[in-house]
Amino acid sequence: MSRILEKQLTDYLVTDQARFYRLAYSYLKDREEALDAVQTAVCRALEKQHELKDSEALRAWFYHILVNVCMDVLRRRKRVMLVPPEALDTGSYEDPMPSDGTLAQRVDALPPEVGTIIKLRFYEDLSLKEISTVTGCNLNTVKTRLYAGLKKLRVSMEGAEER
Amino acid sequence: MNEFKHARDEYESTPIPEELDSRVRAGIRQGEMGSRTKRHGFRWGIGVAAACMVMVGGLNVSPTFAAAASDVPVLGGLFQILTVRNYDAEDGQVNQHVSVPEVDAEGDLAQQVNAEIQERVDAHLAQAQQVWEDYHDAFIATGGTEDEWSQREMNVDVNYEIKSQTDTTVSFVVTMTQDMFDAYNEQTYYNLDIAADKDITLADVLGEDWVNICNAAVQTYIDQDTTGLFFSADEGGFTTVDEATSFYLNEDGSVTLVFPEYTIAAGAAGIVEIPVAG
Repeated sequence: MSRILEKQLTDYLVTDQARFYRLAYSYLKDREEALDAVQTAVCRALEKQHELKDSEALRAWFYHILVNVCMDVLRRRKRVMLVPPEALDTGSYEDPMPSDGTLAQRVDALPPEVGTIIKLRFYEDLSLKEISTVTGCNLNTVKTRLYAGLKKLRVSMEGAEER
Repeated sequence: MNEFKHARDEYESTPIPEELDSRVRAGIRQGEMGSRTKRHGFRWGIGVAAACMVMVGGLNVSPTFAAAASDVPVLGGLFQILTVRNYDAEDGQVNQHVSVPEVDAEGDLAQQVNAEIQERVDAHLAQAQQVWEDYHDAFIATGGTEDEWSQREMNVDVNYEIKSQTDTTVSFVVTMTQDMFDAYNEQTYYNLDIAADKDITLADVLGEDWVNICNAAVQTYIDQDTTGLFFSADEGGFTTVDEATSFYLNEDGSVTLVFPEYTIAAGAAGIVEIPVAG
């Protein structure tokens, strides 16, 4: 990658840092872990910068790294959390959404693969195509999950596909 | 999508920590180093992130280090701990997250320790692969289908953490895990005196009477325990510390003993760490 692109990348990482932190925090809900996640993602982005060919795709490319780092932390956490069988609510798979709380809280309670799409679409204004790059899912999967998420959140779907 | 206006406001009101900027810049420095440095010809996966962990873990440890890290990414002092292998490999089923440290210093001790770490890591990765393959065969043999098998995953991690560091000594732990069905976890502690080119022993820190000091600390700890997870003496519980007992040094120079799962307490107690008052 050229020096110009590298400069563009570092400028972007410094300028948009608050966005990265907020997104990381929305997954991890822990200040220190969110800081670690941002730092790790930034470090990885610089290491992998040769993979970035096109500065247009910069944002989606970086969110891809950041979301993966956060998912890794969540996965690691899941592994050390011991849940006794009786604590598992059999009904929870059908209706995992708390019906109360603000919309933002309900978004946070979504399964991460659905929550990611909602957050990137409505908080970070990414296009569905960019989201498909971030999540590594094809466009149709993104759409399906977006609608499933909105349905769970019980908000209207109009405008979801804008841009 | 007006509903999301409020949600977005709420999301955007997340407080931003002051140190975020310095963390982002530290990440940039580390990453730049990683993308430009090639050590020992290793080029695994995403490449080599030299000194990544030292930057994260060591900043408030050694004054020399903090001063050095603030302007140049080259550390002062006698030695440094570098990440020589750092890669994430996912083939969809076996996910490896490997971050291997190396002691970069003059002297035989560093070489010896590096060789040992290398050997342990290679053994761990090979063993994990073996477990995976054996389990696959057993799974199919007992009526599982390849399709069901493809849903299975295993995580194999190698990581390390620097517990404490001075200008001449370092205390760190290498942790290797694998989570197929017997969550396998292996920790190796290293306490090195780089200046003297030797391992630090409990006797070095606590003096001649180290066995009694440690045993007293452990006994007090067990006596105060209310979980009831510790094994009694006839259940194969704690008897005495010896040269093989793991420990690390804290930043204030004090000792913390480490007992692996199942050695002195039931598995539910996990890894037991017992501080020894200096």
